[in-house]
Amino acid sequence: MEQKIETGWCQGCGNFAIRDVLEKVLRELPVPRNKIVFTSGIGQAAKMPQYLDVNHFNGLHGRSLPPAVGIKLARPDLTVIAYSGDGCMYGEGGNHFIQTLRRRLDITILVSENQVYGLTKGQSSPTTGLAVKNDLSPGGNPNLPLNPLALAVTMGAPFVARGFAGDKEHLKALILEAILFKGTAIVDILQPCVSFNKVNTYAWYRERVFKLEKPLTDRYEAIRMADLWGEKIPIGVIYRNDEAPCREIKEIFQVPLTKADVASRLNMRCVMMR
Amino acid sequence: MEFNVLIGGEGGQGAFSVELELTEVLTKLNYHFFATKHYMSRIRGGHNFHMIRIADHPVHALNGGKWEMVAALDDETEALHKPDLREGGIFLSRAMTKEVGEESKKLFGEIRSANTVMVGIVLAVIGVTPESMAEAAEPGRAEYLKKGSDFAVQWGIAGAFPVSRAAVCLVKFDGNQALAFGALLGGCRFMAGYPMTPGTSILHYFSDAAQDLPVHFEQAEDEISAINMAVGASYAGLRSMVATSGGGFALMQEGVSLAGITETPIVVAVAQRPGPATGLPTRTEQGDLNFILYAGHGEFPRVLFAPGSIVETIELARKAFDLADRYQIPVFLLTDQYFADSVQVTEEEDIPLEVITREYPLFDATYKRYRLTEDGISPLTFPGLSDSMVRLDSDEHDEEGKITEDPDMRKRMMDKRLKKMGLLEQEAVLPTFYGAGDDAAVVLCWGSNRLIVKEAAERLNADGLSVCVLHFGQVYPLTPAMITPYHLEAKKRICVENNATGQFAGLLKRELGIAVDQSVLKYDGDCFTVEELCRTLKGLLT
Repeated sequence: MEQKIETGWCQGCGNFAIRDVLEKVLRELPVPRNKIVFTSGIGQAAKMPQYLDVNHFNGLHGRSLPPAVGIKLARPDLTVIAYSGDGCMYGEGGNHFIQTLRRRLDITILVSENQVYGLTKGQSSPTTGLAVKNDLSPGGNPNLPLNPLALAVTMGAPFVARGFAGDKEHLKALILEAILFKGTAIVDILQPCVSFNKVNTYAWYRERVFKLEKPLTDRYEAIRMADLWGEKIPIGVIYRNDEAPCREIKEIFQVPLTKADVASRLNMRCVMMR
Repeated sequence: MEFNVLIGGEGGQGAFSVELELTEVLTKLNYHFFATKHYMSRIRGGHNFHMIRIADHPVHALNGGKWEMVAALDDETEALHKPDLREGGIFLSRAMTKEVGEESKKLFGEIRSANTVMVGIVLAVIGVTPESMAEAAEPGRAEYLKKGSDFAVQWGIAGAFPVSRAAVCLVKFDGNQALAFGALLGGCRFMAGYPMTPGTSILHYFSDAAQDLPVHFEQAEDEISAINMAVGASYAGLRSMVATSGGGFALMQEGVSLAGITETPIVVAVAQRPGPATGLPTRTEQGDLNFILYAGHGEFPRVLFAPGSIVETIELARKAFDLADRYQIPVFLLTDQYFADSVQVTEEEDIPLEVITREYPLFDATYKRYRLTEDGISPLTFPGLSDSMVRLDSDEHDEEGKITEDPDMRKRMMDKRLKKMGLLEQEAVLPTFYGAGDDAAVVLCWGSNRLIVKEAAERLNADGLSVCVLHFGQVYPLTPAMITPYHLEAKKRICVENNATGQFAGLLKRELGIAVDQSVLKYDGDCFTVEELCRTLKGLLT
């Protein structure tokens, strides 16, 4: 099934399964391949678009979302998918994550969630559990983990989901649903890191994950569900709101800007000193 | 003939509104004028003052001599500026402006009408008739202006300093408007920004244009996001820009570097203000030249423009988009608070109006975004237009945009990008020269000092001093062709800059081997005035 492809990932990495799923998603999406753009940041997960046959903008660490916003605003005809890891998306890019949700754009945010920094070799990420030990936090991580799903629901994101790299069919359906959803859609994907996260392994997840039968539509119930972690971990669509209006974007690309258009901006009133 | 007026007051008292409205009406009446301001970083209180020079000839700098008129909306104005009133000048005391306020409120029912009445007073002083005022008045405000005229008559100052109108048709801009206007002519369609004085009004101008024109403005959560959005929009096919000041630009640097390695066109406007850090938020300086010259990690080509007039700003802003697009590089537009906030008029027929358009060449599935070519420029296309996949990476990459760590490919990609520098040097914008050619001394300057230095040199010439001016609108790259015709080595060389360390003089030395004999530096937050510069230069030249 998996295509032979040279990657920067470790053997057994959860990202392989996600890549496999994304290949199928790209084939099954009712969107021409050349109209799809992946943006990403930096990290092991952020290399994902490099291993797919698709347009990509592999930008800077923490900055997968601002270019996604720029691309979507410039070209609403493109299907824009931002892909990165938990460190990139919720740490370095944490404010972009919050602010992008506020923009109400029709983009999809996919996150390889492994609760650890992989590329820099094993430091705490924003989702690392309290007291988890690693080389940079030998006394244990002093910080509470960020809950991306609860945060997204709180911020008004209309489609919030969690997938698991260990269940490819379920994940594929989830990602397809997210991309086809009209509005900002987030899928946080549990992705075991075989090299640096010895706690949240495939086996650990398999004992805990359970599939939600159908999406929750009540925000407060969704937050409660997003808060569930430990003995039982829900996967599936945590929250879906089909009523949330998506922002309308003006078509600009290749629309001519004429001499008269610009001349109309002559002798404009000056604004107060700013 | 000219008339210089200063209006001072606390923030929120209306001095700024007076300047705004006066410049509107003066433009409608077709007067030559130059207006600038000294204001504090606060919404209310403090002491701000607005300086307007109205003349029967083009004026593009503060005179710096005595005032023909000082209007005091607060007590501080009297203490600070009355001593600079010329003999026979008009002083509108605090008591008089209070009377204007009270009477206006009584007559028109709102205190803000007093601002327009003040405008009427100034207009009456330069000889504008109530009939002309009525023609130029904003709807419903002719009465207010007329009341100003009445005050002037009552106080015996109507027509005290008559100035005649221009014979040519004039158009009004502040520096930021000129920059944004030039950006539109350059085909800019996307701007993302986070407000920062003195760059903010560029965002306002663009956001306003976006209401009617096929352009988009997005307010970003921070400057990091702003530049990453703009680089994204540029990748998607829109000519894009960001605008900020030094502190905001500090946050944008990684995005500049991103544009550098990904060869994504981007224009960055930086309206400088005094640093370090928050510095003097509402004052002027040319302190960020070195910063912008070296901003962004790694080595990649760039161009820096620092225009010094309204027309030059429009032209260079337009050119910036063309260069950025053709060479797939970041191009910078450096201005400063003084230029950004100064309102002035320019002859309408000098304003360029041609919009630059771009082609959208299509390629097939074999397209490689970073194809190695003779001149280092790879054909640029955008996602979704054809079977071509457009793959961009901030990592070093191969021709297809795939990450590589191969030393040979790394070197080839570096050489490819840096090769553009040679072509950019051939396209360099030459400096502007004012003088005879055989002058004994030359004043070198860049950016907003252009027309202040020009007028100072004209006055010195009139006094019999042999001095010329060379102004650099392009400050990087600097090329030998820029200076060869002027035999700088045979002249006494003086460099005028608004900074403390003579950054441009240092750049001239490094890039062209030209050492200046003397630097005239100002870094107290204020601009030079013509008179002040004349005094300083005279001391150096005699």
